[in-house]
Amino acid sequence: MLNSGLKKSLVIGKYTFKEIIGSKILYNTLFLGMALLLVTYVAFSFTYGEPSRVALDFGMGCLALSSVGIAIFIGVGILSKEIDNRTVYMIVSRPVPRFSFILGKFLGLSLVLILNIIILSLITLSLFFLIGGTFSPLIFWTIVFIIIESLVVLCLVGTLSIVTTQTMSVLYTIMLYILGHSIDTAMTTNFVKNRPEIQALLDGYHFVLPAFYKFNIKSFLLYENNLSLAYLGSTFSYGLFYIIFLILVSIYIFEKKNLD
Amino acid sequence: MLSFSTHNIIMLEFVNITKTFSSDILKKPFTAVDGLSFTIDAGKTIGFLGANGAGKTTSIKMAMDFIRPTSGEILYGKELGNKKIEAFSKMGYLPERPFFYPHLTGFEFCQYMGALSDISAKEVKKQIKKWAPEFKIDFALDRQIKTYSKGMLQRVGFLATLIHDPKLIILDEPLAGVDPVGRKELKDIIEELKLLGKTVFFSSHIVSDVEEICDNVLFIKNGKLLFDGSVDKIINENIKSEYRVRYYKDNELCKILVEDKEKNKSIESLIKDGADIISVEQERMSLEQIFYNVK
Repeated sequence: MLNSGLKKSLVIGKYTFKEIIGSKILYNTLFLGMALLLVTYVAFSFTYGEPSRVALDFGMGCLALSSVGIAIFIGVGILSKEIDNRTVYMIVSRPVPRFSFILGKFLGLSLVLILNIIILSLITLSLFFLIGGTFSPLIFWTIVFIIIESLVVLCLVGTLSIVTTQTMSVLYTIMLYILGHSIDTAMTTNFVKNRPEIQALLDGYHFVLPAFYKFNIKSFLLYENNLSLAYLGSTFSYGLFYIIFLILVSIYIFEKKNLD
Repeated sequence: MLSFSTHNIIMLEFVNITKTFSSDILKKPFTAVDGLSFTIDAGKTIGFLGANGAGKTTSIKMAMDFIRPTSGEILYGKELGNKKIEAFSKMGYLPERPFFYPHLTGFEFCQYMGALSDISAKEVKKQIKKWAPEFKIDFALDRQIKTYSKGMLQRVGFLATLIHDPKLIILDEPLAGVDPVGRKELKDIIEELKLLGKTVFFSSHIVSDVEEICDNVLFIKNGKLLFDGSVDKIINENIKSEYRVRYYKDNELCKILVEDKEKNKSIESLIKDGADIISVEQERMSLEQIFYNVK
């Protein structure tokens, strides 16, 4: 059954990808890419010093934000849209285990998201290389972490949208995204350092809610150009673990959920 | 014509099913389905009648395991398989007012549904070739679904429902929102499925449709089953004790309704008055009239 269920997930993933690509979302991505290019161009044109570094800084920052935006946009409708349109009924009325539906939807949406990020990355990097930037392996890792961060956001908003409304799941996701990025800064403040109970609470945060700051290696890319393999490996594993954890939570909720 | 001796083979059984919904912990739960028990026998076309909000769609959603009953049990017949997932491979379902993936073509959608039902691409094409002309949708299968009208959506949905040649077909308001010509065509297809020995269970609030094509009818009101039996039986049980007498008098066609016990006396008196009796027929109630009168 597991084998057949996984096969069905691939089918659902394939048609989810086909459906979204058919909606011409890639045109929007191209427009977004052009806007990114323009903003980055303006930013480094008005900067003294190292324009390629500014272009990379701006480009990667905008890329990360727009990737998260796309993840929220496509992930929030994972189930609610399917229920509203009654398309989920056509799928789960077939010999398809419920876990296959969730897995397949995440698979299809993830492929769309990765494709979008790759297109945006190519546009951003083309400008960087055009103005004399040089390749560093950390550029590759930064993009990998942007992809992982966006996948975590996609799974997070998708999971939340199964239990609450679309609006609330977007709001919660944005809130958790901001929290996840500011938690390490918060831990360095004297306010937290002087209060062990808050420190313990924030330490525990990592185990439950996503610590997005781990995926932000832009400052290493820009200023140190070096990061240990151990950090890269552990952060990669953390992201992967979190994605699997969220998908399992979604499956568990969806198995119990009344589809009405 | 094919004939099947499928009597007493149960496809689906509802055993004392109750479903309550509670939107708020402070509010009393709402009972949508209340102790519903019935069986769907193989080879029959069964109409599931009830007004809007009677509990038809909720019952169908429970049959398809979209929502779970608060109490009671739903049993799938051996004919469908031992496990629920196996049963679903032999069941076809069409939701009410379907709306499918707008950016897939009709053909891709059928392929998608076929792949989920473990049907090979070759078999899908064969089924499409068989059914698409009957649904009069073959001309539009290469178009994106977003360009389809409401009736076309219903047709492509119905086609996808039959793509894996199911034994039990469950349709939720399949004729709603379809123009009269479309309704006639869809009803003809349901008749054809009946001839092919399929079991069809469909909900409707339009009594005349059920009367026209169903062998049996289930009638629910406020979540409770009020009638379960053959259409002929319910009509025969509700034959009135009134007769309609038609006659000519003074070159005019007239008709009167008379009680059974007054019938002979009334006819005699009409003849005495010079009337020419044309016909005397017992009044029958249509299924619709019967259900209007159900309390």
